[in-house]
Amino acid sequence: MPALTEPKVGGPPPITPLPPRRGGGNNGDDNGQGRRPSAEASGSMVRIAVYIGMCASTMTFAALASAMVVRRGLNPTDWHRLPVPPLLWINTLALILSSIVLDMAGRAFRAGDRPKFRKLWLAGTALGTWFLVGQAINWTFLAQNGFYLRQNPASAFFYVLTWAHAAHVIGAIGGLYYVTYRMMATPAIPMNRNVLEVSVIFWHFLDIMWLLLMAIFVFWA
Amino acid sequence: METQTLTPRPSLFRRVFSTDHRTIARQYFFLSIFAVITGVCLSLLMRYHLVWPHEKVRWFEAIWSVRAEGGIMTEELYLSLMTLHGTIMVFFVLTLAPLNAFSNLVLPEQLGRREMAFPRLNMLSFWITLVSFLTLLASCVLDEGGPIAGWTAYPPLSAVGAVSGPGEGLGQTLWFVSIGIFCIGSLLAAMNIISTVIECRRPGMSLMQMPLTCWNWFVTSILSVLSFPVLLAAGLLILLDRLVGTSFFVPGDLLIAEQHNPHAGGSPLLWQHLFWFFGHPEVYIAILPGMGIVSHIISNFSRRAPFSYRACVWAPVAIAFLGMLVWGHHMFISGISPYSALTFSLVTMSIGAPSAVLVLNWLGTTFRAARLEFPTAMLFCLGFVSLFVTGGLTGLYLGQPEIDAYFHDTAFVVAHFHMIMGMAALFAVFAATFYWFPLMFGRMLNERLGKLHFYLTFIGAYALFLPMHFAGFAGNPRRYADFTNFDFLQAVMPLQHWITMTAFALGAVQLIFIWNLFSSIWRGAPATANPWSGSTLEWNPDGEISTLGPYSYSNSGSETN
Repeated sequence: MPALTEPKVGGPPPITPLPPRRGGGNNGDDNGQGRRPSAEASGSMVRIAVYIGMCASTMTFAALASAMVVRRGLNPTDWHRLPVPPLLWINTLALILSSIVLDMAGRAFRAGDRPKFRKLWLAGTALGTWFLVGQAINWTFLAQNGFYLRQNPASAFFYVLTWAHAAHVIGAIGGLYYVTYRMMATPAIPMNRNVLEVSVIFWHFLDIMWLLLMAIFVFWA
Repeated sequence: METQTLTPRPSLFRRVFSTDHRTIARQYFFLSIFAVITGVCLSLLMRYHLVWPHEKVRWFEAIWSVRAEGGIMTEELYLSLMTLHGTIMVFFVLTLAPLNAFSNLVLPEQLGRREMAFPRLNMLSFWITLVSFLTLLASCVLDEGGPIAGWTAYPPLSAVGAVSGPGEGLGQTLWFVSIGIFCIGSLLAAMNIISTVIECRRPGMSLMQMPLTCWNWFVTSILSVLSFPVLLAAGLLILLDRLVGTSFFVPGDLLIAEQHNPHAGGSPLLWQHLFWFFGHPEVYIAILPGMGIVSHIISNFSRRAPFSYRACVWAPVAIAFLGMLVWGHHMFISGISPYSALTFSLVTMSIGAPSAVLVLNWLGTTFRAARLEFPTAMLFCLGFVSLFVTGGLTGLYLGQPEIDAYFHDTAFVVAHFHMIMGMAALFAVFAATFYWFPLMFGRMLNERLGKLHFYLTFIGAYALFLPMHFAGFAGNPRRYADFTNFDFLQAVMPLQHWITMTAFALGAVQLIFIWNLFSSIWRGAPATANPWSGSTLEWNPDGEISTLGPYSYSNSGSETN
């Protein structure tokens, strides 16, 4: 069976192979004694942890969004709609593009096309960073136009939800930058494929979450 | 001569900040022990004040110079003790001990492994929880006194700051911060348990071959993942109300302490919805691990598989699912629509069905036992069943809007949840402590002291909380610091005296357990590898996975499986 790791210079990226799938519990990536050979968790374990984290995040956003619906329903008189910030659509586009580009980067990584992976990953990370910068510009715009956190409940919920989303984005960008650092600084060391995969999965999650928030703000709040 | 390989003892730092799951289990366990001792002492102080509110106690003044001037506890001090008691007991005892402590102790071995899925995350979740506990304690040692809003922290008074009373300034803010930190710690712990159950089972062990404890910890962790984020979100909003001046939960035109409150338009009901969306599943987070422990131990000491393993798996799943849908029954008199109340009531009643299935299973297992044994752990399990039934039945009363309209905020509610969520869950913790003590410290707890402790605690639990129901019948309100000003409550005062005396007696009985625990850690009889002849893998980590399931006890009644 050919080795999946390829230490050749200029060749495909070094990849840590995923363990084969088996039924009944962990994928057999230990020595049979219950202790994994390294302290590093297996890929499927990390993915499951990220999925659980996504469930928890979804519940947080659901609670905040439900609170918004109930708060407006209980007292619609003090609800004043916010103006659409100038970069909202551009930001949304940047986030969607970053998600697509990062996904393509992940595919390039799996295909072993290292130069393509590097370009796409850097582009996706840049777009993600732009989203965060754009959000800061949007908040400044709203503040300059007199929409502060405690101005009215609509602006309060806008800030809370977008801050909560931005906090998640900061965490996810940390993952993207970590992969970028590994890619640029230590190209000879095999990349941990788990970090790359969960970073992309979580980024997609934040993308979908943002689209839902956008729909609420633009069409309802 | 047998040669041994000497491994250097880990440094103190490594032992304290350990990633070993059993060390972390002991850390959670001792944190819970410290918390429960604190919580019990607080409750005794409260009980004392309720029946002798005007008696001077010199050392009260020595501890609380401002809030107990002249040795008499003020009402604010009583409320802060009540808040701390509820918070400590619900979060740091009933959540930590049955779920985090014992799952860390045996979950990996029960699944045929040696480690949790994420050992470092496991360590982190404990230390985050400890920071949360210290923050909670810090909220109560401020000059202004501890928070007084109760463990439910209902706004508007919890959301407007120091103007609403002493302790409602920085103390209440720290309380919310503490609970927020606790949510994060619990989420990380739940993430670890779920990942361990899904991914770390030994190859060949299907989900339906797991011990029932694993199932219950798994389901409870799912509940944690679904409910703690909601409390976290609500805590974030209320902190913004307090610190920034938003109006999520505070309505307009409030006059508090003769000051007009600047907030406008918020709704205290919104907090209640969010809080109880967490709060009711929290009840099941406290009790579901206990159900698993009881199913597991009853099976061991009945020397047979549970009456129906599948029922014991699916009933807690059903309870957890329904438990997510019944938060509104805490709000029957908060002004929710009668149609909503009816819906919540029906779903609440339906929880009785899977609960009854479980009780019948426990009884069925004992009735058809190959050979019944009654060590202390088994006695506590049977005590759990009794308290669960008694406490559960009163829940059926409170789940009906018409009856709840009368009982709401009375001692009846206090008796109900202390019976089922307090005593029943603690009985499961006692059972687990006696059962798994050999795995925790390599020694046995003293059985004679254990049985004495059980009988006195069992009698004490009923002697304390059964009369409290009658106080509720008489309309005795909860959360009041002093009953002496109310004529209609004078008839209940003898009952209150009885409850207080029993509480002190029950508290004193716990000293037997504390003595037993700490003396056995160092001087207990050394434990054998499998002292209870258990069939599950925590007792025999290198054993084979039985195709007959985790509880493959021989029905012949022999000592071995």
